[in-house]
Amino acid sequence: MLKESKFTEGFKKAVTKHSTKSLLASIISIIVGLIIGFIFMLVASILKPGSSALGGIGILLTGPFNGLNPKYEIGNLIFYMVPIIFTGLSIAIAYKTGLFNIGAPGQFLMGTMGSLLVALSIDTTGNRFLGILVWILAIIVGMLLGMFWGSLVGMLKALFGLNEVIASIMLNWIAANIITWVFKDSPLHNIGEGKDGYLIKTSLTGNFSPTLGLGKLFSSGNISSYIDIGIVIAIVFCVLTWIFMNKTTLGYEMKACGLNKESAKYAGINEKKNIILCMAFSGALAAIGGALYHLNAGIEFKWQSAYQTLPPWGFNGIPVAFLANCNPLGIILSSMFIRYLSTSGAFLPMVGFNQYFADIIIAIIIYLAGFTRYFIGRIDKRIRDMELARLLEKEKNGLKSDPPNDNVIVMEEEGKK
Amino acid sequence: MEDKYVIEMRNITKEFPGIKANDNITLKLRKGEIHALLGENGAGKSTLMSILFGLYQPDEGEILINGEKVLINDPNDATKYGIGMVHQHFKLVECFTVLDNIILGSEDSKLGFVTRKKSREKINKLMDDYSLHVDLDKRIDEISVGMQQRTEILKMLYRDSEILIFDEPTAVLTPQEIEGLIHIIKNLAKEGKSILFISHKLNEIMSVSDVCTVLRKGKYINTVKTSETNTDELAKMMVGRDVSFTVDKEKAKPKNIVLRLDNVSVVDKNTKKSVVNNVSFSVKSGEIVAVAGIDGNGQTPLINAITGLGPVSSGTITLLGNDITNGTIKERIMYGLSHIPEDRHKHGLILDYSIAENFVIERYLEDRFSWHRHRLIHFENRKNYSDYLIDNYDVRSGQGSNTTARSMSGGNQQKAIVARELDKDHSILVACQPTRGLDVGAIEDIHKKIINDRDNGAAVLLFSLELDEVLNLADRIYVIYDGEFVAHFINNGLKPEDLGLYMTGSKKMKKENIVC
Repeated sequence: MLKESKFTEGFKKAVTKHSTKSLLASIISIIVGLIIGFIFMLVASILKPGSSALGGIGILLTGPFNGLNPKYEIGNLIFYMVPIIFTGLSIAIAYKTGLFNIGAPGQFLMGTMGSLLVALSIDTTGNRFLGILVWILAIIVGMLLGMFWGSLVGMLKALFGLNEVIASIMLNWIAANIITWVFKDSPLHNIGEGKDGYLIKTSLTGNFSPTLGLGKLFSSGNISSYIDIGIVIAIVFCVLTWIFMNKTTLGYEMKACGLNKESAKYAGINEKKNIILCMAFSGALAAIGGALYHLNAGIEFKWQSAYQTLPPWGFNGIPVAFLANCNPLGIILSSMFIRYLSTSGAFLPMVGFNQYFADIIIAIIIYLAGFTRYFIGRIDKRIRDMELARLLEKEKNGLKSDPPNDNVIVMEEEGKK
Repeated sequence: MEDKYVIEMRNITKEFPGIKANDNITLKLRKGEIHALLGENGAGKSTLMSILFGLYQPDEGEILINGEKVLINDPNDATKYGIGMVHQHFKLVECFTVLDNIILGSEDSKLGFVTRKKSREKINKLMDDYSLHVDLDKRIDEISVGMQQRTEILKMLYRDSEILIFDEPTAVLTPQEIEGLIHIIKNLAKEGKSILFISHKLNEIMSVSDVCTVLRKGKYINTVKTSETNTDELAKMMVGRDVSFTVDKEKAKPKNIVLRLDNVSVVDKNTKKSVVNNVSFSVKSGEIVAVAGIDGNGQTPLINAITGLGPVSSGTITLLGNDITNGTIKERIMYGLSHIPEDRHKHGLILDYSIAENFVIERYLEDRFSWHRHRLIHFENRKNYSDYLIDNYDVRSGQGSNTTARSMSGGNQQKAIVARELDKDHSILVACQPTRGLDVGAIEDIHKKIINDRDNGAAVLLFSLELDEVLNLADRIYVIYDGEFVAHFINNGLKPEDLGLYMTGSKKMKKENIVC
């Protein structure tokens, strides 16, 4: 009896924990999303003979394992997680402070620009030690630029009351145009000039991200995948951000501002300072994502189209953050999941579907994640019912359960007598 | 007649995890009767009414309407059986007219367009029948709270409700509006409507109801005829022990000046009107100074000026000799400001934070609650402190320190704020409506704590709309009218009548008699 109650107690504790509930809700939305996606493909397969919906879902589920060399695919999958982990973190911490940072693409671009200007203007070919130093410097410069870019949004909001969404959309395009100007017409334009509209790879100046041998581990024959140290740094940042939001006084302060601005003010918390700081952190995170992505030895940055299309990595942080319910640790999983589906998209033509079906399904899942609260509510109710059933069961068995409050009342009444 | 009931709720039991909200409760309502449901916060009144309204299903027991057993699965069923409810917080669409709000959801239409003529006639007739008049063409945000409540009542009448439930209807009203409401309710009963009146205010129950059912801690206590009982008896039934309505306190021993205002004025940013006008006064340690007045006479901007939530246009405010006129809230807290805010949801609590997190909202940077140069939260100390406050201030919460503030009852939320503000080192306590929405037992308790705080050497500045509270607690009283201090009294046995004329602005003291 005791053992059982201990077990149910533990189970209840685990399930009622908010993070567990969010995880459950995300899993539910993924499953439902896949089912809807399957129906989509079923309809499409009727319209287009020769395609198979079951095959399609199979490919989505097996993802990178459809490739000739799964190891290589997995290496790339992990590499492409890095930028969306960072933009996801950027959006998550802003959201927890009550801000919607739609400016991640701009901050991502500023980080890209800052880091590449450093990494491509200093040539350390041959000296790996110096190369690493410049690489670190590049990340820091990129981060500072992104931090500045983010804090601009914060300042506009805190000091002039300008809505952060409007401010960051504008700053996205300003960043995109600045970057085009810098690499096209500014005095700095010949730094790292590559083929038309591109910069050269960082491997040519020697200041590229260490691969820690991961590239070779996840390779296909002689061709290494892109994977590098970025994923390690990304996971470290997820943990750090989680600690920041949950264990530090500053995180507590920021969340207070996000949850109830007025009572934060009442308690003497400087809301304006927190908005600016939060946007600065948020910008820094997105910028590190941009820096780490482009500092990879094999990536060339195409500045030419920046002023027309913002980098997708910025906006893709939004689904990553929300699928994880803005939990920094959850972001590791959600980014992995999204990249897993994206990777599988490339193999969909094998069963007669367009690769964009994967994107459709991702979009459906993100959409469902919006219902997370609803799902959480359902789970909550289920737990309450279970609890109730347990209590009633106890009663039936003759074990009169005294609700805790009754004890309090009795003691209190005796005390007052 | 004697045994004919419009509603019978028999042996209702409803259990929530860890608590029996309703334990074998029976409630019988006759036609044309005003039946009061009395109980403290958490006594199970709301649960019982939610069951009647179809929001919850009872675990045991049955509901009979006009002698027939019914199942009420949702509010639509309740409406079908002629049950209507005026909620404590009105459910009105602010930017709609009164008329549109009343017909919303059961409007007549022709070719998809709303036709209001028939509805208007019906409502006009209702208004005449029950002498319950509202301007139908005004928007909700243009009319007073009392008028909004009338709109809610008309909404029920329009839907032909026979059984009207009023959930704490007076909580939001001014004394004059309360009188009007009581009149309306009596009218409704006279016209044959049956009324359930939920309240914890004894005076109202005595003046409005015919019969009163008392609940305590989820249990049925008794049903009595109001004419055969008195407030003391009801209070005893409700709380379970004798309750004293007057507070015992010794004479104040004021010492040094803690808070001082000199010619403070506040000009409203939007209307450019002066909402606080040249106010000067001071509060000494060891005394309770109350500001009495009818709601909306400048109390809120004055409170905001003192606590830092709002601006000061001219004049100076000093706290312990430090000029804080334009100081930040953090500075004020540092000089010892404790503030029980008027609006506990807007300012007092972060509803999605746990009670422990809420307890340290002003103090999280203290050595005790943070470590590593105040950068990291000290969870263990915070938890211990929170447990200590919960024990010492009798804050009841389902899961102890981890309970989110949102899931606590209003009374316990208020107790939590009081606990936090009193337990913090402070030189002055600015208490704004400290007992709003609390039940008798809790009010008595908080009053004792405030007096205790005074005796421990704090200065107390009390803002209250409840005259009884002001007269019970205050050592000195200022009356505020239209943003101005119009009277000053030393409280030695003052009666409400003494203040009345000043509060309505019909009388004013000479400026030099208003000592600061």
